[in-house]
Amino acid sequence: MEKFKSRKPRKYTGTYRPKKEGLEKASGRALYLDDIIRKGKDQNLLFAKMLRCPYPHARIKSIDTTDAEKLPGVKTILTYDDPEVTAFKPSNASWTGLDTRHYESMDWPMYMDRLVLPDTGVWVGDIVGAAVAAESYDIAEKALKLLKIEWEVLPFVLDPEKAMQPDAPVIHPEINPEGNVHPGGGWAGPDVFMDRGDVDKAFAEADEITEVTSKHHNADHAVLDTRGCCVHWEGDRLICWTNLYQGDQARMFLANMFELPVNKVRVCIPWVGGSFGRGNTGDQPFLILTALLARRTGRPVKYKHTRREDFHDTRNALTWTIKMGAKKDGAITAMYFYGIANSGAYADSTMAALKHIPGIEMGECQQAHIPNLRMEGYVVYTNIIPGSCMRGIGNAQVNLAIGLAVDVMAEKLKMDPLELVIKNFGHEWEPLPNESLKACLYGGAKKIGWKDRHGPGETKGVKKRGMGFSFNMGWHSSWQEVARGHVQLGIKLNPDLSLILEAPMVETGVGSNSCAVFACAESLDFLNIKPEDIHWISTVDTDTGYKDMVQTDSAVSFLHAELMPKGAARLKQDLLVICAGYLDTTADKIDIENAVVFFKDDPEKRQKVKDILWDNDIAPVLVTVSEIMPGEKTGIPYIATFADVEVDTETGKVDIIKLVVVNDCGTVMFAPGAEGQQIGGQCMGIGETLTEEIIYDDATGVPLNFNWIDYKIPTMADFPTIEPVLLEVWKGAGEYGACGLGESTTTCTARAVANAIYNATGVRMDEIPFKPEKVLSALSEAAQ
Amino acid sequence: MDKIRMKVNGEWAEFDLTIDFQSSDSLAYVLKEKMGLTGLKVACDEGACGACTIIKDGRAVLSCMLLAVEADGCEIQTIEGLATDDPVVKAFADQCEPGYGTAMQCGYCTPGFVMASKALLNEIPNPTDEQITEKLSGNLCRCGTYPAVRRAVLKAAALKTNQ
Repeated sequence: MEKFKSRKPRKYTGTYRPKKEGLEKASGRALYLDDIIRKGKDQNLLFAKMLRCPYPHARIKSIDTTDAEKLPGVKTILTYDDPEVTAFKPSNASWTGLDTRHYESMDWPMYMDRLVLPDTGVWVGDIVGAAVAAESYDIAEKALKLLKIEWEVLPFVLDPEKAMQPDAPVIHPEINPEGNVHPGGGWAGPDVFMDRGDVDKAFAEADEITEVTSKHHNADHAVLDTRGCCVHWEGDRLICWTNLYQGDQARMFLANMFELPVNKVRVCIPWVGGSFGRGNTGDQPFLILTALLARRTGRPVKYKHTRREDFHDTRNALTWTIKMGAKKDGAITAMYFYGIANSGAYADSTMAALKHIPGIEMGECQQAHIPNLRMEGYVVYTNIIPGSCMRGIGNAQVNLAIGLAVDVMAEKLKMDPLELVIKNFGHEWEPLPNESLKACLYGGAKKIGWKDRHGPGETKGVKKRGMGFSFNMGWHSSWQEVARGHVQLGIKLNPDLSLILEAPMVETGVGSNSCAVFACAESLDFLNIKPEDIHWISTVDTDTGYKDMVQTDSAVSFLHAELMPKGAARLKQDLLVICAGYLDTTADKIDIENAVVFFKDDPEKRQKVKDILWDNDIAPVLVTVSEIMPGEKTGIPYIATFADVEVDTETGKVDIIKLVVVNDCGTVMFAPGAEGQQIGGQCMGIGETLTEEIIYDDATGVPLNFNWIDYKIPTMADFPTIEPVLLEVWKGAGEYGACGLGESTTTCTARAVANAIYNATGVRMDEIPFKPEKVLSALSEAAQ
Repeated sequence: MDKIRMKVNGEWAEFDLTIDFQSSDSLAYVLKEKMGLTGLKVACDEGACGACTIIKDGRAVLSCMLLAVEADGCEIQTIEGLATDDPVVKAFADQCEPGYGTAMQCGYCTPGFVMASKALLNEIPNPTDEQITEKLSGNLCRCGTYPAVRRAVLKAAALKTNQ
């Protein structure tokens, strides 16, 4: 396949080279939580199990632990009414956001709707009532079964629209005693969260109006490395190993909940087997319960979800209705968005999925040139699995609706939808058309063969081919990362010019460590440093004092890299001073190139830097950098996905023949890593579009497929041809001016495929996943 | 039976029932917990994902779905038994061919894929695309590296042929 062409060729970043830790992972030597914390290594280890609510809504009236306590191997049992448990303040699963602020001053405070160990469970799978520490998982599990629990089974509701009815059971009376709609106002903003121009007047004056609805579902992250932790106490210090992806936030959360000084908590995170936004962020009740069990027993306690238990949070189920008005010439004059988000049992980040991304990020950016725009939305509690962040927050859901509105409107106006998009969407800092958007759409159109696209349903025969696309603004440029506060790194140069790089980030697979290492090497070109000379510390350890860059965002692909030129300049200056002392001169009279120091006025007088360092007993040379990202408003580039599908009208099976995934990312930091995201994102994209779906028994509220046999993740056999296209059209601030791309790669897939299905069959189907039975029933309904 | 013996990565190892393991323990448990062979990953524990794949008597098997007692007398190869210059390991590590991405991202499924690929190439030294798909579709990669994995397997086949 074609290599992407870099706008400014660099020595290491943007090139095709192996992943930094490729050999470590390919040889099975990379150690993950389960490899490090094992009974085989530490006979003292205990194992925790936590009671899961078997009902969608139920309260524990009493628990009798007598029989469970008698079971040999059971060390301690915590229950919901234990004074140490009830002393914890309420929390939520999105407690800290990106920042490391106090509980009281968070950027995005969320609803405090979680208790560490409640007496009431609000979904099947909720941690509730009791936690056990025992010599093995089996014993702990048996102990849970020996608990005598008296349940009060409460009425439940699964559907958000039913949950909004006045007679619906109230799920979180402490948040809203009146009903299940999350209170608006305050930090959550008004219900009509954007209203500019005069939408009603614009609709009245529009030549064409469309109204569409798209429903996104609770796809699961389905990460291989199930979540867990191991906690032990060293005196009054809490030591926590975990595979959550946020060391600092987990540390802040534990310190805050246990009311410990921050330096009395140490969080260590090794290689992590995937994340995609799960459990965002460092706040999980199981951390607290495990820490409490460890303190009670005086022994290390490990907790790890089973595969079933790891169905623990999902993409937020969100239904958007969009009304769009346009003039005959294709100028979109008005858009009205109405969203209902099903947060499931806990609020998590669903308010952000509903309002933050679609509103602040897109309403004021992508939709900046739509003169009349109103957005309204409500978040509703139900008794299903909670929604959280998954490869973005709300982007895929709103894209599913915008891409539909555009497709329908273009057909009404008899316009190519690409032209409709280019005519109307961009961002607030630039006039239309947006060059990045144009490049993405025309680039993708060429690769998929858009010019040969036929009209809707115009193919004959049983198997019908069709093409569709969707577009979105990209994700995370530097100005959007200012709110993170400082990015930090440390460069430690050894006397042999090998290097240790402290660029703390939990490596969940996204390749950001490779980006940092390549940027570091090319910044230190004056020392002839190569990527293989750099040891990047893969375990995040909060005891180093460096802030880790949370993988909540693909921005980690450039955050550390942007600091490297400054780090390199400082290191050079320090080396010049050291060498000047040794050479009996001053730093301004010498320079370093190719790892050799020389006199500027007499370049023949030269010496290897290495020799000077070895002789001086001053190495390692340390440099630290701590900076906020540049805040210059540069806008954000675009992304697009094009799909070519075949629909078998006899079986209802949808086959994706080809996907073209286009990302303008400013600067490509790690080419195979970026292409890997573009391709790999489709595992989720295709899955949630065609096969993945959590299925509930409506009568009992019990989820039926919390396993990987019945929850169908794409395999190699399900993968179509995927062509990744990387572009560098837009540029952000800073040396590299890159943006993230991991989230964006799944954003447009479902809509691109849905539009392609329409193009193939002439029938709209707008509730993913497009399983054969749904496709067949839509086709037969349309035929009647 | 109160003891099992198996030849693991070329050396015989012996385990006592009840002392070292229970009759209900999986082969994955004994290899990982008792022998410290941590390369294999237990990600689903129900035979759905392939992360625990090892080679038993020349064939790729799911070590979470085999009881330890079923491995008595068998020859087991885990990823620790492969050399770091093994063509499959090397091909997975080095994959950066334009247009396919890297052959692993988070790496949790990788040891399983490497062992499944190893068994595939032992059986079919020069597999077709269809044969690779057939043999590796029991392994899940949520990071979605399948196209790069396929390239790595083809590369490993070429490396082996040239050795």
